[in-house]
Amino acid sequence: MTGGPLSWTVNGRARAVTGVPDDERLLDSLRWRLGLKGTKEGCRSGECGACTVLVDGETTLSCLTLAREVDGASITTIEGVGSDPDGAAVRRAFEAAAAVQCGYCTPGFVMSLTGLLRERGRSVPPEEIAEELGGNLCRCTGYVAIVRAVARALSEPP
Amino acid sequence: MAPFELVAPESVDAAVATLRAAGGALPLAGGTDLLPDLDAGRVDPRRVVSLRRLPWRTLDWTGDSLVVGATLPLRRLEADPDVRRRFPGLYAAVRAVGSVALRHRATLGGNLARAAPASDLIPVLLALDAEVEVVGPAGARTVPVDAFVLGSRRTDLGPADLIRSVRLPESRPSAYLWQRVRPSNDISQVAVAVAYSPSRRDWRVAMGGVPPRATLLSGAADALEGPRPDDGSIRRSAERAAREAALVADKRASEEYRRRLLGTLLARATRATVAVEAP
Repeated sequence: MTGGPLSWTVNGRARAVTGVPDDERLLDSLRWRLGLKGTKEGCRSGECGACTVLVDGETTLSCLTLAREVDGASITTIEGVGSDPDGAAVRRAFEAAAAVQCGYCTPGFVMSLTGLLRERGRSVPPEEIAEELGGNLCRCTGYVAIVRAVARALSEPP
Repeated sequence: MAPFELVAPESVDAAVATLRAAGGALPLAGGTDLLPDLDAGRVDPRRVVSLRRLPWRTLDWTGDSLVVGATLPLRRLEADPDVRRRFPGLYAAVRAVGSVALRHRATLGGNLARAAPASDLIPVLLALDAEVEVVGPAGARTVPVDAFVLGSRRTDLGPADLIRSVRLPESRPSAYLWQRVRPSNDISQVAVAVAYSPSRRDWRVAMGGVPPRATLLSGAADALEGPRPDDGSIRRSAERAAREAALVADKRASEEYRRRLLGTLLARATRATVAVEAP
């Protein structure tokens, strides 16, 4: 079934989205209705983190979120992350550390780290960082460079 | 997945009435467990009743007891410094659930209502003597968590009942430890929650990760003597746990491996609890 239009602020822009069925996931609305294909579908069951976006500033698995459940929210995807000071710092850190292999997991990692910086600042105890980012999997196993990028983002002022 | 109708009532009464009226309706809290089940066709509701508009995202302290609203995201629970300090076992258990992004949506009420056999939260709720506050067509009632969880994916909830909140009667030194093949995205082979009650001067030991449901191990708890049990007492407790626990073999672990894990985790969790300064 399909209710009325949803109104979101996506990457800083007001968007009215029509024709969204009640069972549609946020992931699918972003990719197929708004054309924001930087957000990736991986496992579609909440295990890989590839679909991570920010909903009202909080990291959210868009594959496990019904679009209608977040009506009215402000959503940030990888396409808009550069406008956020923390997001821009994370992006620079990933570039500088060459923390990208095939790139499929990268948007999810960038969003998770951006959300972590927004939520907890740069003083997260080092022993908690791996746990904080443990919801993002890199199937290339390119973790060494990713860990370097994380360290760089945490040490750089925004 | 067959399409369903999503409704988001503005009041508790309306939510209960909606669940009661529609045959085949299911409540939706964070959705992190329900949505994969919808995808897999394990559930097929005609209507899904979202709880997002209900005023249950709460965390209320009264003295050293805590009432957690059913739809409070787990991440908010772990972010509270008093929860971390006064319920260290609960903090550890919440951190063991999924990932940060998942915990921004997942809820304590949802975890209890869905009653997965490998729930990381039910063991620690057992060890803390948590009480589940339920609302439904017959009014409100309070059910101890041990009587609330009936089996794998089975609870005391009627079809139009909702969990409103979970009450933790007293702060307790506590710990939660688990063993998994892959820490970040697997479920536990065995998990152990341990808590010491300062008011009752006794221990609670609960085991999780073993189907069909988390269970209290009363023999193991009774073997722990005083607030600072010595090594002999801890060893006897671990031996009793290995004898009394109903263990099973499945793809995650053999029965014998689980038995060894149980004793090891129980001893470590007890020592960790003793090391917690009284809250």
